[in-house]
Amino acid sequence: MPILDIHQVSLSFGGLKALQNVNLKVEQGSTHALIGPNGAGKSTLLNVLTGMLKPDDGSVMFDGKPLLDVNSFDINQLGIAKVFQTPAVFPEMTVLQNVTIPVFAARDGSFRMNMLEGYAKQRPLIEFAEEQICEIGLEKHMYTLAGSLSRGDKRRLEMAICLANKPRLLLLDEPTAGMARHETEKTIELLQGMKDGITKVIVEHDMNVVFSLAEKISVLAQGQIIAEGSPDEIKGHPKVIEAYLGEAQV
Amino acid sequence: MNNQLSFWQLNKAVILFAVVALTMPLWFPLINGYSGLDTKIMIFCIFLVGFDILLGFTGYLSFGHAAFFGIAAYSTGLMLKNFSDNIVPAIIVAVAVATLAAIVIGLLTLKRTGIYFSILTLAFAEMFHSMAMAMLQTWTGGENGLTGMPTPMLFDLKMQGNNVFYFTAIMAILLFYVAKRIERSPVGLMMKAIKCNQTRLEYTGINARKYKLLAFVISAMYAAVAGALMVVYEPFVGHEFLGWHQSGEVVIMSVIGGVGTLVGPMLGAGFMLYFENVLSVDLGEQWLLVLGLIFMFVVIFMPGGFMEALERIKRRFFTTVDGE
Repeated sequence: MPILDIHQVSLSFGGLKALQNVNLKVEQGSTHALIGPNGAGKSTLLNVLTGMLKPDDGSVMFDGKPLLDVNSFDINQLGIAKVFQTPAVFPEMTVLQNVTIPVFAARDGSFRMNMLEGYAKQRPLIEFAEEQICEIGLEKHMYTLAGSLSRGDKRRLEMAICLANKPRLLLLDEPTAGMARHETEKTIELLQGMKDGITKVIVEHDMNVVFSLAEKISVLAQGQIIAEGSPDEIKGHPKVIEAYLGEAQV
Repeated sequence: MNNQLSFWQLNKAVILFAVVALTMPLWFPLINGYSGLDTKIMIFCIFLVGFDILLGFTGYLSFGHAAFFGIAAYSTGLMLKNFSDNIVPAIIVAVAVATLAAIVIGLLTLKRTGIYFSILTLAFAEMFHSMAMAMLQTWTGGENGLTGMPTPMLFDLKMQGNNVFYFTAIMAILLFYVAKRIERSPVGLMMKAIKCNQTRLEYTGINARKYKLLAFVISAMYAAVAGALMVVYEPFVGHEFLGWHQSGEVVIMSVIGGVGTLVGPMLGAGFMLYFENVLSVDLGEQWLLVLGLIFMFVVIFMPGGFMEALERIKRRFFTTVDGE
């Protein structure tokens, strides 16, 4: 059974059909890449999955539960985390505080009025957050303000935030956009080294990243899935070449 | 974030505040402060600490907190006048009424952010103000204010002079301690995260709206305690308790003192009230002009307020080479 099942999802912005009858199944534990030319609807689809946008039609099931009409934070509590295109962290907080937040979100749920409990005194939770930070190699920056980290380090921190409440599905929106070559390599390593069991859906323009990570690729163009298959199948697919070259000719 | 923080390190600010507050009747007259003004400063410390839980933690600037201050003041006044001269039931009822109002107003205004939130809160406060002036005139006394309360009693203790001061000072110390505890709790962490990056917080599984409402209601409760104590301090409620001027003053005190530091806004409150009531006598009619200049100086050169100034002084004079 697929962990994520997108069925006949359509969404228009005014007259623009951003998504048209999109069907997509993501297998448990796999890394699934979404590629396509600019404006194909890749980010729109991710925004539907995180509850930011509501489709006009269709259904989305995650692990047998419907995702539409569910709040963003509840979707996260169900086990879906998102890595943004621009690293989204809490800039005025320390790296450790950044990771402490999801740790408490995992323990307490989306809201709990524990106003008199000292969070720093919860040793096991803080130690878990510290481990997560060590794992992504930011242990030297434990007490650095997140806003002063380099872009690559912010990306790592964001991953740590996402992983700290143990998601089952990780959505990545162009995780290497605007990164230098060596930072991209590091990010690929980080994603490859991630513990098994986390399903990943990755939107990416960098084909190098896509082909080194993805087990399955879906190609979106003008709001429709035009091809789907293994990296080798996609490489030589005539429709894919047409979609990309067609764009280049404009 | 260290577990080994000692009792002293955790509660330094509260202990220092307690010492300063409780010895105030001894040193305040030396700087020309008159008795009574110290009580008012303590009351505004409560108001400002609560306000900082909203503005300082979540970053939501309310221009209508006078509503809760005023509602609580009127409720206290009416309770003292019509029910009992004991302040305990009066304060409890006043805080309850203001809390209810805060839940309703919070639910409606927190749908918006930034300037829209500020304008909405201002509009609500003005609504209450005009209600007190017209519709509810028979209760509130309208333009003349609510008068005719008996001398407030704390059970068998007459609430006059020093009794009022120590009562408000102890309340201020307690509520400052509670605010400090909230700051160190997961709730405080989430509230501060709202100011940093609300989208990330929502995508990290946190219901930001509920935490915002909680911050709003807590700050309103602090404002309500302050409003109630105002009536204990001086058995009179004027319509200006609800006015936008009152709301604005709280914002200015926060900014001058240092938003988000809890201590800073209290310093701001002390400074403003001292300035308004003591220094203004020496400065004559120009005191508002001087105050405006000070405000401008702070905003332009020290956006962190007095707390930033203190921090800079500390760094300059108390920092050794290795940064200790």
